[in-house]
Amino acid sequence: MTYERQTKITRVIIKAAVLMLEHGAESILVEQTAQRLGKALGVRSVEVSLIPSAIVLSTLDENRQSVTTTRRVHHKAINMSMVCDLQKIVIDTEKNSYDIEFVKKGLKELKPNYYNRWLIVLMVGFACASFAVLQGANLISFLITFIASSFGMFIRQELSKRNFVQIIIFGVTAFSVTSISSISYLFPSANTNIVLASSVILLVPGFAFVNSFLDALKGYLSMGWGRWLEGTLLTVATSIGIILAMTVLNIKGW
Amino acid sequence: MLDLITNFMFAAFASTGFAMLFNVPKYALIYCFFGGAISHITREFFMYGFNFSIEFSTFISATLIGVIAFYFSRKNVIPRPVYTVASIIPLIPGTYAFTAMITLVDMNSHGINPELTALFLENFLKSVSILGAISFGIALPSLYFIRHKKPIL
Repeated sequence: MTYERQTKITRVIIKAAVLMLEHGAESILVEQTAQRLGKALGVRSVEVSLIPSAIVLSTLDENRQSVTTTRRVHHKAINMSMVCDLQKIVIDTEKNSYDIEFVKKGLKELKPNYYNRWLIVLMVGFACASFAVLQGANLISFLITFIASSFGMFIRQELSKRNFVQIIIFGVTAFSVTSISSISYLFPSANTNIVLASSVILLVPGFAFVNSFLDALKGYLSMGWGRWLEGTLLTVATSIGIILAMTVLNIKGW
Repeated sequence: MLDLITNFMFAAFASTGFAMLFNVPKYALIYCFFGGAISHITREFFMYGFNFSIEFSTFISATLIGVIAFYFSRKNVIPRPVYTVASIIPLIPGTYAFTAMITLVDMNSHGINPELTALFLENFLKSVSILGAISFGIALPSLYFIRHKKPIL
């Protein structure tokens, strides 16, 4: 294999790996994807080193010629459709032994499947309200939760559009959600605790925590710590937002 | 029976909403819908049918979700976290964690007293153990299959 061709292959593989890690795939999936893609494209082995902020990847061909490259990873919003589509490309390449141009084209044409933003606002509001019902909320609590978290989702989308840091997005959203959901103190029949707790459920960093556990248990300890810290920071930001809102509104005499 | 159906629907919609937040592809949404319902119903079933503790019931239902997701993912060629993370949303101990946080702030501003401390510890331990049960439950099935040394998909 010529050096140029191997470099080309390495670039494509690391592009796929970076996309996967950026959109929230677990580490074992990233490594397997890189290795399978490498096998399918004709290099002998692919070795991957993952840290939360970068990927280092080496390919070896049959003459032990090695190409190594590093890419920075910028964590983006969780997007599972990207991960699924990437997986499809890899499996297609493996099955039909497509060449490198197919993969390149596929990666270029990859588009995140965005749902209509108002549909997401409504659905997330409804999801948080449903969560409240599962915790034992009544009708009025259901409605307040629905309004508060729909509005929170709207704010989150607006802030994401302006490319703020995740921590700020979470804090501000938590602040506004709690401010709105504290309307429930005006209704004596509402279950205030449940309303306040359920309307901020949309800010739970579920993927960060689940991925951190899965990574750590499968042997990617540094990735596990990184993701755990990410999740914890977001949770702390959310808590600060909630506490700030309650202090400002002077709920419970703080 | 009516209670069961409403619980089923609400848990299912909670999961679907979060699945859309994570941009799960359209054809996988239906699995998240049923996944959320299954996880919640299983937990209720073990909690009230067998009088198991909430942590253990959560663990069982998270494990079940992990196993089911394994078959779904083989069938549809989709990574497992796509289903599992959305499906466990109804199990999250939201109220416990929230109460723990609120009591912590309360202790800071009103002084520490035994009642608040007890309330805090109780809620904190509950939420931590439920979260631990969820994560171990999800991870367990994939750890079982990992010894085969070949990719699951």
